[in-house]
Formats: sequence, structure tokens, C-alpha cells
Amino acid sequence: MSFWLDQALAQAELSNDCLAEHRAKSLEALRATPWPTRKTEAWRYTPLLSLDNSVIDEPNDNIDYPGSPEGVELIELFFVNGKLQSNINVAVEGLTIASLDNLNDEQQAVAKTVCQSAKPSRHLFGMVNDVLAKQGVLISVADGSDIKPIIRLVHLQNGGQSHVRHLIKLGQGAKVSVIEEYRGEQSFVATSFSEFDLGDDAVLNHYRFGLQTGAAKALAGCHFNLANRSQMHSTLVSFGSVLSRLDVDINHAGEHALATQNAIYLLADKELFDLHSNVEHMQPHGTTEENVRGIIGDSAKAVFNGRIHIHRYAQKTLAELNNRNLLLTPKAEINTKPELEIYADDVKCAHGATVAELDNKALYYLRSRGVSEQDARIMLNFGFINELIEQMPAEPLCEWLQGELRTRFGDLRTQLSVEG
Amino acid sequence: MTSKQLLTVKGLQAKVDEKDILKGLDLDVKPGEVHAIMGPNGAGKSTFGYVLSGRDGYEITGGEVVLDGKDITEMDIEERARAGLFLAFQYPVEIPGVSNLEFLKAAVDAHREAQGLEPLSSKDFLKEAREASKKVNLPAEFLKRGVNEGFSGGEKKRNEIMQMLLLKPKLCILDESDSGLDIDALQVVAEGVNSMRDGERSFIVVTHYQRLLDYIKPDYVHVLSDGKIVKSGDASLALELEAQGYSWLAEMREADPEEMHREVSE
Ligand SMILES: Nc1ncnc2c1ncn2[C@@H]1O[C@H](COP(=O)(O)OP(=O)(O)OP(=O)(O)O)[C@@H](O)[C@H]1O
Ligand SMILES: [Mg+2]
Repeated sequence: MSFWLDQALAQAELSNDCLAEHRAKSLEALRATPWPTRKTEAWRYTPLLSLDNSVIDEPNDNIDYPGSPEGVELIELFFVNGKLQSNINVAVEGLTIASLDNLNDEQQAVAKTVCQSAKPSRHLFGMVNDVLAKQGVLISVADGSDIKPIIRLVHLQNGGQSHVRHLIKLGQGAKVSVIEEYRGEQSFVATSFSEFDLGDDAVLNHYRFGLQTGAAKALAGCHFNLANRSQMHSTLVSFGSVLSRLDVDINHAGEHALATQNAIYLLADKELFDLHSNVEHMQPHGTTEENVRGIIGDSAKAVFNGRIHIHRYAQKTLAELNNRNLLLTPKAEINTKPELEIYADDVKCAHGATVAELDNKALYYLRSRGVSEQDARIMLNFGFINELIEQMPAEPLCEWLQGELRTRFGDLRTQLSVEG
Repeated sequence: MTSKQLLTVKGLQAKVDEKDILKGLDLDVKPGEVHAIMGPNGAGKSTFGYVLSGRDGYEITGGEVVLDGKDITEMDIEERARAGLFLAFQYPVEIPGVSNLEFLKAAVDAHREAQGLEPLSSKDFLKEAREASKKVNLPAEFLKRGVNEGFSGGEKKRNEIMQMLLLKPKLCILDESDSGLDIDALQVVAEGVNSMRDGERSFIVVTHYQRLLDYIKPDYVHVLSDGKIVKSGDASLALELEAQGYSWLAEMREADPEEMHREVSE
């Protein structure tokens, strides 16, 4: 085990809430799990040393709140250093939002079924989060309810340790949009896991903006269960930091489900970002489309592991995964590994990973109109990412996010003028 | 018209991928003139445009190019554009993710900066862009789309003309801006060009068809063949070519023993 984990577990009070059984199970499993080394496949490129070695900043309440996207109705909840800031006060028909530490009996029953339903037990920090997360929300959308406002869960942190868990249940035919947003650049540890359980015919629009950077140590997961004919459209945007890891699981537990996932990572300095994505097609007629694009500058390092597992009975599956990377400097690094496991014979599957350079013809075209080479490179890099941003279902969010990312591109500006 | 030259091309030689394409091309363009360049496929017409624009990989191996009194052969692509050179492409590229509007504003502002002007306000720019798109009959929604993304062949050509309207270059080179256009679009392109004729601005119009020249009246028509201008005349030459085709070029080459020997040895 690690010093960090020992300490974290020692400080955990094993309260007797509705998820106590889940916690106990994970604690046991965690004790039996060896701490990853460089030989542990799932952690091969992502050393965890910084957890044990770095000094954690003292958290304080003096924190800047980010602006909100305009032109869209929002239900906003803020978590500062892992604690929910205000009372939840939502009056939207068909929608329940409750703090995990304050659930009524009915809500407790829902929480118990969603917790650990979509997240497989193998994720190390998922188990840590199982044991330690006391904060977070339960979101439950009643059968057939179409929730208009977008739920925005904003997490701000400037120190300490935080463990947050969100459990989201969509009833049959329910529709909802959820943004998870994470920010902070100080030295802190955050485990943030969320599970989404979609009923038959449910539709989820999901956004995860993992904008933690700098000295943040961010360990996270997003896990989805798809029932018959349900749909999820997910956009992940991630910056890198000293340690940044995201595990995604999409489980086609019903037939005719559709999952689209667009993931973007933008890394600078010595940052690291590691995305492990796993799609399980367990039932026939499922469709998955994943587009993963990254821009990596300085001596940053990205890790992408994209696995698609098509089980024996999952006939007529359509699955596509595409990973494209732009490296801005010779020291920038990408470790990309596609893993396809297909046990059904009647499926269509495509899987590809490339390390691309900027399109020279496009560069010439822009310059031939008077745009400087540096600006043209920035435009093209931004365009590479923007193509995925523009596919987000909520247009006002696109503009807001484009603004956020432009700042990031500003940071990368000098490198973008260097020959890719 | 003044006797000043806007563009002087003398003995221009250029190669691409170690292959000589332009082999001593001469062309003089005075302010306000319209020159048409015709010639068989593969003659080097597009190459001429690329070489003038400074495209990477198109290497000048001899001759000179002077635009508005300045040698442009050592300038970067963007400097040439800001100096007033504009090439409407035969095959404009699609750039998904980069919005037309953002691109056009960056281009216009870069031109303004070169002229010592402030960037346009978003509002003023939008107004200009809308007017330009109207002129070439492209719905304003096209401004929001990715650069040429999913545009039809004709829409791409009109987008090129729209850029020309916005950038107000001194020398416009149109590389087959008429190909793939329906009859109405052809008129739109021609009107775009004609509306910009002011006695100072010059045009080099590369085309295979006399039809465009009915709308845009050229002062000179040149035949480019095998990397050189081999024949020049007035507008009537285009009609002649339409009637005769280019078979006479082969005869002309046969009559030139030096040329013949070179072809055999190649
Ligand atoms: N990268 C290259 N490598 C080798 N040859 C090339 C390259 N690019 C162009 N060429 C050759 O240069 C010649 C001139 O091409 P260019 O495109 O300039 O012709 P064009 O006169 O514009 O023809 P068209 O009427 O078909 O548009 C052609 O023979 C072409 O194959
Ligand atoms: Mg051509």
C-alpha cells in the first residue's frame, strides 16, 4: 500500500449510512489490491509517486467561482474542496436532486441500486472513492420526464483531499443533461466518480469538463449503464496536471442502445493525462461511436487506452473508435493503445489511432489569405478540437466552452508556431 | 491606364518535386487590365498561380516576379497576400472546425494591420461579411460553417470570390473559378469580378472556356503550354481557341527542333 492511502483510510470514519455495505465491500477489496507499480498494466505510463511525495496545500474558502454559460437554463450546485456549498432547492417536476448525506428512505433505495452498478470494481481509485466519498448528489429523473434545465455540478478545490460521488438515475424514457465541471490548480487530491444508470429509452446528454491542472492530483471515473434503446451523448474535455487519470466505462446492458462519446485533451508543460476508456457490448444491436482527440505540447504526456469488448451475444454491434493526436514538440508524448476484443461474428467495428500533423494544404490556404503562420496554426489546432465541441447538443455551451479553451490555446500559443 | 506595371514576370522557371513545370514564362500586367490564360490540361496554369502565391514545394529556379515594384520571390505566403496578391483556388480545401467567419476576420485584420489600420470591430466586420456573402449569393449561414466544410463545388468557388471581395487585393488570380458553376453562379462570379474593376485592380483569369470571357471582358488572352506563354492576342483569340482546340500546339512544337530533341531524350 501507499503512505497516502494508509493515511486516507485511517482518517475515514466508517459511518453507518445507506452505502455502508458498499463501502465495506470495497474496503476489503482495496486491502487485497496491491498498490500499482510500473509493471501494473493499467498504470504503466502513469506513476502515482506524486500522491506520496508532494506536499498538499491547505484548503481555504477563498476561491474564485467561474462564470456560467449564458443563454441556457441551469441548475447549478457548487462543491468547494469537496463540500456542497448550499442547500439543494429544486422544484422541477420529475426531477429529484438530493445530497448523499441527506437522503430519505426512497432516495436511499435508489442510491443503493445505482452505486457500483455501472462502475466495475477493478478501478483502484474507484474503490478508494467507494470507501471515502460522503459528498455528492443523487439525481433521479422520473419515467418519461424531460428535464429542460441543464444540471451543472461545479467542483472547485484549492487544497486538501476531496472524495465526491454522484449517482444519477434516469427512469424509462427520461431525458436530462448533466455537466460535471472540475477546477483547481493547487496541490490537492480529488477522487471524483459518477455513475449513470439509464432506463429503457432514456436519453442522457453528459458533459465532463476536467479543467484541473498544475499540481492537482485528479483521479476520476465516469460510468454508464445503458438499457434498451437508451442513448447517451457524452463530451469529455480534460487538461493535464501532475497526475490526472480518468476511467470511463460504457456498458451496453440492453439492446439497441446508442453511445456517442467525444473526448478531448489539451496538455502543456510537464502535464500528464491518462484516459482509460472501456466499452462493453453485452447485448445485440448496440452502437458506440467514440472520437478522441488530443493536442500535446511542451513535454507533456498523454495516455489513451481505448478498449471495446464485444461479447458473444452482441450481434449486429456497430462500434467505432478513433483517436487522433497532434504533438506540438518533439518532447511531447502520446501512448495510445487500442484494444478490440470481439467474440461475436456479425459486427462492424473500426478502431484507429494516429499521430497526425497539421494539414499542410489547410495551412497554405489560410496563409494565402494573409493570416500569419502562427495564427494559422492556432486556428487549425483549435479547429481540430472544435470539430468535436461543435457536436455538443447544447449550442450555448459550445460558445462558453470555446471561450474557456481559447485561454488554454493562448497558453499553448508559442508552441503552436513551432513546426509540429 | 498608366504605363506602370502591376506585375512583371520575366523568364520564370519553377519546379515541383524535381520536375520542371514552368520553363521561362513572361507576362506583364498593368493596373486595371484583365488577362485571360488558357491552355491544355497540365500546361502549368495552376502551378503559375501557386508559384506566385509562394506555396511551399514550388521552387523558383530562374526568372523574376515583381509585384507593384517589389520583388516578391523571397516573401512568405502571407506577406505576398498582404502585398495585394490573391489566388482564387481551383480546388479550395475544406477546413472543418475553423469557422469561415473567424478565418475571414483574421484575414481581413491581417491585411488591415499590414496597412497600419486597426482591426475591424466584430460588428463592422459582420456587416461587411454579410454584404459580401449576399453579393455572391451565399446565404449568411455559410459564414458560420467550417471553412468550405460540406460546401458544394459551386459554393466553394463563390466563397473564394467572397474572400476576394473582402480582401480587396491589387492582383486577383482566378484559377478556373468558372468550372463546375451553373449558369446563374457563373454570372454571380462574373459580376463579383466586374464590380471590383476600378481601373487599378488587375485580374488574371485562368479558364478553359470562352463562356466566362463573355462576362468578364479580357484585354489580353494568352495560351500557356508546357510552362510558357506561347501565344498572346486580344479577346478574339479565345474564340479562335474555342473553335480550334490545341492541336496546333503539337505542330508548333514539332516545328521547333530543339524542343523535339528534348522530348525524345526525356
Ligand atoms: N507535386 C507534383 N509532382 C510532380 N508533378 C506535378 C506536381 N504537381 C503538379 N505537377 C505536374 O505539373 C504539371 C502542371 O500542372 P498544373 O496543375 O499547373 O496544370 P494546369 O495547367 O493547371 O492543368 P488543368 O487545366 O488540368 O488545371 C502537370 O503535368 C502536373 O502533373
Ligand atoms: Mg489547373
